[in-house]
Amino acid sequence: MTAPKGISAVAREMAAQGECTPRVARDPVNEAMINNWTEALGDDNPAYPAVAPPAMVQVWTMRGLHPNPDDDPLGRMSEVLDAEGYTSVVATNSEQTYHRHLKPGERVAVTSRLEEVVGPKQTALGEGWFVTTRSIWRVGDEPVAEMMFRILKFRPKPVARAAVTPMVSKDTEFFWVGTKIGELRIQKCAACGALRHPPGPMCPRCNALDPTFIVSGGLGEVYSYVVHHHPQVPGKRTPFVIALVELEEGVRMLGELLDVDPEQVKIGMPVRVRFVPSGEFTLPAWEVR
Amino acid sequence: MSAALVGIGATEFSKESGRSELRLAVEAVSAALAEAGLKPSDVDGLVSFTMDSNAEIAVARELGVPELTFFSRINYGGGAACATVQHAAMAVETGIAEVVVCYRAFNERSGHRFGQFSSAAATNPTSSGVDNSWSYPMGLGTPASTVAMVARRYMHEFGATSEDFGRVAVTMRDHAATNPKAWFHRRPITLEEHQASRWITEPLHLLDCCQESDGAVAIVVTSLARARDLAQPAAVIAGAAQGSSADQYVMTSYFRDEMSRLPEMGLVGRQLWRQAGFGPDEIDVAVLYDHFTPYVLIQLEELGFCGRGEAKEFIADGRIGLTGTLPLNPHGGQLGEAYIHGMNGIAEAVRQIRGNSVNQVRGVENVVVTAGTGVPTSGLVLTRDR
Amino acid sequence: MTTQLPELVLDVTPTFVISTALATRDFQDVHHDRDKAVQRGSKDIFLNILTTTGLVQRFVTDWAGPDAFVRSVAIKLGVPCYAGETLTFSGHVTEQEGSEATVEVVGRNSIGNHVTGTVRVVLP
Repeated sequence: MTAPKGISAVAREMAAQGECTPRVARDPVNEAMINNWTEALGDDNPAYPAVAPPAMVQVWTMRGLHPNPDDDPLGRMSEVLDAEGYTSVVATNSEQTYHRHLKPGERVAVTSRLEEVVGPKQTALGEGWFVTTRSIWRVGDEPVAEMMFRILKFRPKPVARAAVTPMVSKDTEFFWVGTKIGELRIQKCAACGALRHPPGPMCPRCNALDPTFIVSGGLGEVYSYVVHHHPQVPGKRTPFVIALVELEEGVRMLGELLDVDPEQVKIGMPVRVRFVPSGEFTLPAWEVR
Repeated sequence: MSAALVGIGATEFSKESGRSELRLAVEAVSAALAEAGLKPSDVDGLVSFTMDSNAEIAVARELGVPELTFFSRINYGGGAACATVQHAAMAVETGIAEVVVCYRAFNERSGHRFGQFSSAAATNPTSSGVDNSWSYPMGLGTPASTVAMVARRYMHEFGATSEDFGRVAVTMRDHAATNPKAWFHRRPITLEEHQASRWITEPLHLLDCCQESDGAVAIVVTSLARARDLAQPAAVIAGAAQGSSADQYVMTSYFRDEMSRLPEMGLVGRQLWRQAGFGPDEIDVAVLYDHFTPYVLIQLEELGFCGRGEAKEFIADGRIGLTGTLPLNPHGGQLGEAYIHGMNGIAEAVRQIRGNSVNQVRGVENVVVTAGTGVPTSGLVLTRDR
Repeated sequence: MTTQLPELVLDVTPTFVISTALATRDFQDVHHDRDKAVQRGSKDIFLNILTTTGLVQRFVTDWAGPDAFVRSVAIKLGVPCYAGETLTFSGHVTEQEGSEATVEVVGRNSIGNHVTGTVRVVLP
C-alpha cells in the first residue's frame, strides 16, 4: 500500500510523461454505429448518418468489451487508486470541443495525458480523488476534437442499510394506514374522549377498551429536537434533524424535520406534517411552516 | 435490610478482551467469591441483567456451583444494575438463598456495541418493538440521540449549557486519571477539549458520552450475620429500590407532561431515603450512573441533592470533585473508568465503604448508587457496618 | 428576453439505459447489470456519461436544427439517473454573438439535477 503522499507522487510522475500512445479506433466512422447511437438515444436529426454526431467522438475510441492493455493514463491511475481502496468510480465532468464534423470512412485515434489528481477529498459518496485527463482525437495529424474528462475514484461508504420499518400491532395499525393516505391520526378514547400518542389498546385515563381516532390538522411546534451526526443511521444521510413536535391537538410525536438548516431550528418553531414514503410504509415527518 | 455486599470482583476493563463473555463472567464471579473468602459451593443464587448473554446455569456450570435455589434476571438495560443487588438481598432476607452473586459480563466494545443504531431493537415482535416504532424509523435509535432529546429540552427550560454538561465529563476524567484500573488513567481532559470534541448528536459532544468497554463485574450478597464472619468488611444495604413511573418508556419517555425529568429516579430516591432513615445530606459519596452527562445533572435534582434546574450551579464550584462536599464517582464513572452497565459503580461504592478505594474519600459512612437513567431504574444506599 | 428551449422529457427505462450504454460502447456492469449495480452501492443501473453528453447535444440540436454545428458540450454530473426515472431537460440561451449561441442546460430527475451543462452551437 502506498501512502496518500504516494498517490500524489505517482500522479506527478505520470503527468510528467505527457501524452500516451495513440489508441486507434477499432472501426472507421461508420453509418451502422451512428445509426445504433441515434436509435438508442432517440436522436432523429436528419444530418446523421451523413456526418457523425459530434458527441460520438469518444465512442469511436472506447476500449470495448475486451480491452487490450495500454498506457492510457486514466486506466493506469485508476489501477493505482484501486490498490489503495478507492475502488468505486463516477464520472463528474466532461468538456468536449469539436473542431469539425466527422464523416463515415474517417478513422480517429486518441491520445490522452494526465492533467492532475486531487485528493483525498471528503465527498457525499465517500473519500476520494478527482482524476482529470485531457484527450485529443486526430484524423492523421489533424486534431478534430478535444476533451477534458474528470472522474472521482472513491472508497465507498458502507452500503446504507434500508430504513428501519415500524413494528406494527393491531393497536397501532390505524396510524400507519393513515399516514399512507395522508392522514395523521391521533388515538381518541371513544368513552372519555382522551387523545393519546403513542396509541395502545386501553385508555390509561378511563380504562375503556374502545379506541378510535381523529385526524390531526398536522400543525404543531417543535417541543425538542436533536441533530444526529454519528453513527450512521439506516436510510438517513447525516447530519439530520429529528424533532419532537407538540401538535395543536396536544399530543407529542417524533419525526424527521426536513429541508431545514440545523442551525436555524428552535424550540417553539411552527411546523406542519409531511408524509414520507419509506419502503412499504409512510412515515410522518415535519417541515417548517 | 439485613443483607450486605461482601465481595467484589472484576476483570480488567478494555476495548477488546479477547475472551468469551462467559469466561469474563466466571472470572469476575470467581474473583468476587475469593475476595469474600467464599467458594463456588457456597453459592445458591445468581442474578444478572436480561441483556446479559450468559445464562445463570452456564455460569453455575463453569464454576461448579452444585445447586441454585434462586436465579433471576432484571430488565431494562443498565437500569438493572442496582436491582440485581436488591433482588439478591430480597432472596437472602426471605431465606430463599444464602449467598447470591450478581454479575454482568460483556464484550460491549469488541462485540455488540450499544452505541450503534440497532435495527433489531425496532423489529422485535413485542410491546417494546412497537414502542420503538415511534422513534427508530424516524432515525432516533441510538442511546446518545434519545438522551440528547431530553437534554435539549432541559437546556431550554433551565438555561443549562453544554459547558455545564462538560464540567461533569471533566470531573469524571479527573477522577479516572488517578485510577490505574480506569481506561482513561492519566488522561484528564479540559473543558475546552470537551467543547471541541465532535458532535455525536447535538447537543451532545463525543465527550458527553461514556466509553464502550469490554469487561465484567460481580458482587456477592449475603446476610449481615454471615457477612460478619467473612474476609472483608461488610457494605450494609441501607436501601435498595426499583422505580418505573407514569407513561414510562425505555429511553423515550417523551410523552409525559414534564419530559425534562427522570421521575423514575425520583421514585427510587424517595424509597431509598425512607428505607435508610436519612436523606441526601447524610451521603458522603455519590455513585451516579453516567452514561451521558446531562442525566447526571438531572439525577442530582431527582435525588434531592439540589432543586429542580439547579444542578448546574450545584456542580459549578467543584462540589462533585474528590475534595468537594459531594465527591461523585471517585473511580471516574463510566465516562472515565469503564462502561460495565453500572456494576463497576457498585464495586466502587463498596470500596468507599471499606475505605480502600484508590481515590478514597475520607470518613465515608454512606454511599448512594444509581443504575441506568432514562429507563426503569434502581438504586442502593450502602453504609458501614455499625 | 431569454430564449427558452422546448423541454425534452425522457422515460429512462432499463432498456434505454442498456441500449444507450451499448451504443456508446460502454460495457461497465453498472450500466447493464442490476445485481452488480446494487452490490456496488447503487439503487439500480444508471445512465453512462457518454449518453448524458449525447442527450445534452440532442436536446440542443432538436432546437437548433440539422444545419447547426455543435462546437462544444461541457457537462457536470450531479445525481445519478437510475432506470425508472423520468429525465427532463430544460435550457435557455445565455449569450449570442453573431451566429454562435451559448445554451445552459439542466437535466432533472426525481432526486435532483442529474446534469448541468453549457453547449456552444453555431446556428445556421
